[in-house]
Amino acid sequence: MKVETIELPKKYHGAVEHWRRHNFKDYELLMDDWEKYFPTDEKFCLCAKMEVGTPDVIQIGEQKGEKKRIKPDELTENQAMHLLAIIKAQASTEFGSIQQHSGTLDRAMDDQDRAWVMRVMAEELRHGYQMLHLLLSEDWSHVSGGITGEQMVEEILSMTTGSHVLDSFNLDYDSFVDNVTFAAIIDRVGKYQLTMQKVCAYKPMADSMPPMLREEAFHLAAGVIPMRRWAQKAAQGDPLISMHMMQDSLNKWVPRGLEMFGDECGGHTNLKYGFKDLSNRAAVEQYYVAITKMTRDIYARFLRARFPDYSPEKIETTLRELESTRGTHHGVAFADLLRVPDKRFFRRKGEHAFLMVGIDGETFEDAEQYLHYLAKHLNDGYIASRDMRNYADCLRKVAAGEMTRDQAVKAMPKLKRVGGSCPCSRSVRWVMEEANGEQQTVAVRNH
Amino acid sequence: MPEVTSSAKVRPLDELDIAGIVRIDERITGSYKPDLWEQRVMYYLRRDPLASQVAEVDGKVVGFMLADVRAGEFGLEEPGGWLERFGIDPDFRGRDLGRALFDAITAHFRSRGVTSISTLVDQNDKSLTGFLGSIGFRPSALQALEIPL
Repeated sequence: MKVETIELPKKYHGAVEHWRRHNFKDYELLMDDWEKYFPTDEKFCLCAKMEVGTPDVIQIGEQKGEKKRIKPDELTENQAMHLLAIIKAQASTEFGSIQQHSGTLDRAMDDQDRAWVMRVMAEELRHGYQMLHLLLSEDWSHVSGGITGEQMVEEILSMTTGSHVLDSFNLDYDSFVDNVTFAAIIDRVGKYQLTMQKVCAYKPMADSMPPMLREEAFHLAAGVIPMRRWAQKAAQGDPLISMHMMQDSLNKWVPRGLEMFGDECGGHTNLKYGFKDLSNRAAVEQYYVAITKMTRDIYARFLRARFPDYSPEKIETTLRELESTRGTHHGVAFADLLRVPDKRFFRRKGEHAFLMVGIDGETFEDAEQYLHYLAKHLNDGYIASRDMRNYADCLRKVAAGEMTRDQAVKAMPKLKRVGGSCPCSRSVRWVMEEANGEQQTVAVRNH
Repeated sequence: MPEVTSSAKVRPLDELDIAGIVRIDERITGSYKPDLWEQRVMYYLRRDPLASQVAEVDGKVVGFMLADVRAGEFGLEEPGGWLERFGIDPDFRGRDLGRALFDAITAHFRSRGVTSISTLVDQNDKSLTGFLGSIGFRPSALQALEIPL
């Protein structure tokens, strides 16, 4: 296991540092406290890391057995365009998550949890930097529509919550519970994507994956461990955290996590091109099993804290009993059980988009009834958001037959930040991008 | 030759293994210590997530071995592998799972250029010293010392 570290050309390195000063203000604090929270761990390095000694031969797809490509123009034009989109989306998610974490970081109840999230943010910054390295170290101009590397970097660094490529990175956090749940649920999607991309036919992409994956292991733990501890506190009657809060946060993020894999029926192009080794559906299935196990373990931690005299076997029996009877056990009700929502719950993309299905698989016929149900199972801050309003508008139209589900998927609007490349710039215009590609200005912010 | 790990899968530790490790430890020691294991698993995951290993049978974690590479401690400047904690579910002993876990750790250490592995053991624990001896550990010049306070 050998890793080569690379720094971006000064101009771009400086741009990332500049972005970091605006979007990750606690970075210096993390560096100052590194020894306190991560004693003897390797110091953080803002650099690209390339694994040395990964396979040279394409492992999957139509070009299986051929030498891996090391330059974009060795890929077919379609392959290069497809991969460029993947790299840009990946870069967007890395920077996007830092912006999301920043909003509620200071609300952490525990200094250690806060330090863990700050390290997650620093490593996401490095992952974004890694993707910029892939964009800048080679010439993509033949498939970028004339957009230069510099312009691509500018575009990525100008995105803010609301204008990122994937929906999960366009939702504001409503509390520190979201910071932690996001790490456990959404970073886990990242782990699957990075694992699938380890085989990538474009070698610089494949070489980027192992160092990112090693860091991602920490991110998932930074989500799961605080959730486990919160479950214990909730069971012991701590009024400041409850299973209900955690469940609401799961309800918010799990549907978006499932959608991050892409449409369940897709992913075959990635397999054909040798970019990933699983179809979307296969990856989603594995992911769903993992988050179900995670949630069950957390709930078992809750039950054990509630019933300290129970053996592990008795806890398992109790959990199964609650799941099968949907009843109660000495004051603990099935409805209080922390659980992964049904795959069809609150979906807006993929094969289950705009179906009205509850957490436990119950179905709804009426849009208003379903929206009321969602309002009960999502936190108040999120319910009162623009994102929910847009979803509700589309859902009502689908239910009324004014729009097909497919049209609704395409009609979910996106805010796009148009203007300067940095929050320093003035007069930022927000546009609503409609399904037909037209843009409508919805807000102008002057700094 | 014991029934080796034909149905067992050895893989790197991840955060979803905490519950399994807590359960194994409780079966061995009789005490439930989730906080301790959350802390230890986090420590190993953040330092070198591929070093520590677990053994799974039918999707259930039945053994674990926590390890990492350290340098610069106790005057040992060369990076060295350290084996800290391990445990095998009592129902799954005698299947050579400990050796399989250790082999996986050794392979990882070699890939990191490590040339020796160390651990500390209570010499009165014959079962443990026996196991460590069987996988190749020998007394080292480095000695553990202590002063009661």
